[in-house]
Amino acid sequence: MQRLDVRGEICPYPMLRTVQALRKLTPRDEGLVVVTDHAPCLETIPPQATRLGFSTTITETGTPEWTLTLVRER
Amino acid sequence: MRHVMVLGYQVPRHTALGIIGSLGAIAALVVLAPLGGDFARFWVFGLAFGIVLQRSRFCFTSAFRDLFLLQDGRGMRGVLAGLAIATPGFAIVMSNQIPNPTLGMLPPDANILPLGIHTVVGGVIFGLGMVLAGGCASGSISRMGEGYVASWVALGGMLIGLLGVAYTWNWWWDISIGRGARIWLPAYIGHGASIAVTFAALAGMYLATVWWESRSGLAPQPPALPAAPGVDMTARLRHVVQLVFVRGWPIAIGGAALGLLNVLLYAGAHPWGFTGELSRWVIGAATALQIGPGTLTGADELPGCALELGDGGVLHHMLFLVLGMIGGSFIAAAFAGEFRIRVPRQPARQLQALGGGIAMGYGAGIGLGCTIGAFFSAIPSLGLNGWVFAGCLACGAWLGSRIIAR
Repeated sequence: MQRLDVRGEICPYPMLRTVQALRKLTPRDEGLVVVTDHAPCLETIPPQATRLGFSTTITETGTPEWTLTLVRER
Repeated sequence: MRHVMVLGYQVPRHTALGIIGSLGAIAALVVLAPLGGDFARFWVFGLAFGIVLQRSRFCFTSAFRDLFLLQDGRGMRGVLAGLAIATPGFAIVMSNQIPNPTLGMLPPDANILPLGIHTVVGGVIFGLGMVLAGGCASGSISRMGEGYVASWVALGGMLIGLLGVAYTWNWWWDISIGRGARIWLPAYIGHGASIAVTFAALAGMYLATVWWESRSGLAPQPPALPAAPGVDMTARLRHVVQLVFVRGWPIAIGGAALGLLNVLLYAGAHPWGFTGELSRWVIGAATALQIGPGTLTGADELPGCALELGDGGVLHHMLFLVLGMIGGSFIAAAFAGEFRIRVPRQPARQLQALGGGIAMGYGAGIGLGCTIGAFFSAIPSLGLNGWVFAGCLACGAWLGSRIIAR
C-alpha cells in the first residue's frame, strides 16, 4: 500500500492531501496508509474516506502519532 | 510508550507531564487567589475553556472553512450547539439586568456592538486570515498549549495586526465605528420574540448544514469507541477515563460545554472574549516604548473586545484567562498523549501563519472582536452585529478556502 506522511501539517492540509492522494489511486491500488501527528484529522479524514469509498482503521502508537489505514471497499 | 516512576508507580511519560501541569495550575491558583483582582477566577475559567477546546478538538475556523473546503459541517454543528445553549443563558442574565428592553437601555456588558462597514470589513478579513493561519484566535491559543509552533507565530501576527488597528483606530472611529448603531433585538421585539427568532435562525442554519452535507454525499461518522468494558468495575472506570481524557469528545458536547462556560462567565463578570486583552499587551508595550498610538477615541466606552490602551500595568484578570486557556489545553493534551512541539516541515507554512495572524489581528481590531467576542458571544447577546459578523466570517472563510485549495 502507498504511504502518505502528513506529519507536521495541521488542518486542513492532512485531509486535503489525503483526499488528493486517494483520488490519484488507480482501481488496482488497495488503499493508502496516512501517518499524522495532528489529532483533529482523526475525525475529519474518515468521513472523507467513506465518501470516496474507503474504510478507515486508526492505529494508536502510544506517542502523538497515528496511522490511518484507508482500504478500498469492494 | 515510555514510562517514568512517580511515587513508586510506573506511569506513562505523558501522564506524568499532565500531572506536573495540573500541579502547576493548582500552584498558580494558590498564588493568585490572595492577590484579588479576580485573577484566580479568570485563571480557572481559562483552564476550563482550554481543556474543553483541546478535548473536543473544537475549531471555529474549521466550522466555517470545512463547509466550503470539504462540505463537512461537523464543526458548524458544534458551534450551533454552543449558541443554542448560550442564547437562553445570556437571555436570563440580560432580562434580569434590563427587564423592560423597550426603554432604550442596553445590558452594559453584553457584546452588542456598533454595526457598520467596519463589521463587514473586519469579518471578511478575519475569516480570510483564520483560514490562512489554520486557526482563529481561540484555536491558535489552545494549539499553542498543544505545542504547535505555527500557532505561536499566528498569535504574534495577531498582535502585529492589532497594533496596526491601534494606529488607524481614530480613522475607523470617525468614518464608521463611532457612527454605528448598536442594535439589540429585544429593544425592538422584546425578550421572548428575540430568543424565538434566534432559535429559528439557528435551526435554519442547522437544516442548511445537514442539507449541504447530505447533498455532497457526506455521512457524519461517530468517532470509533474503545471496546465495551463489560461488568468489571476497574475495566468500566478505565473505559470512562479513556473516553474523557484520551479520545476526542463528540463535537456537540464540546460546543455545549463552551456555551455553558460562556453563560457562567457572563453571569459572574462578562461574556467570553480576549481580543481586547491581546491588544492591551501590544498597545501597552508600544506606549512604554514611546511609540504608542496615543488616544483611542471611544474605545473605552465599548463593551466586549474593543481595543484597550494598556495603561493599567501588566496584571489584569483577562491576562489570566488567556494564560489559563494555554495551560488548560497543555494539561488536556498531555493527559491525552497529544502534546508535542510541532514545527511545520514547510517553512512557507510559518509565513502563512504570520500573514494570516496579521489579517486576523486587523480584522478583530476593527470588527471589535474575533470568532468569540464578535460572534460566539454576540449572537447570544441578541445583537444584530453577531449575525452580520458571522455572514462576513463565512465570506472570508470561503475566500480563504479558494486560496488554500489551489
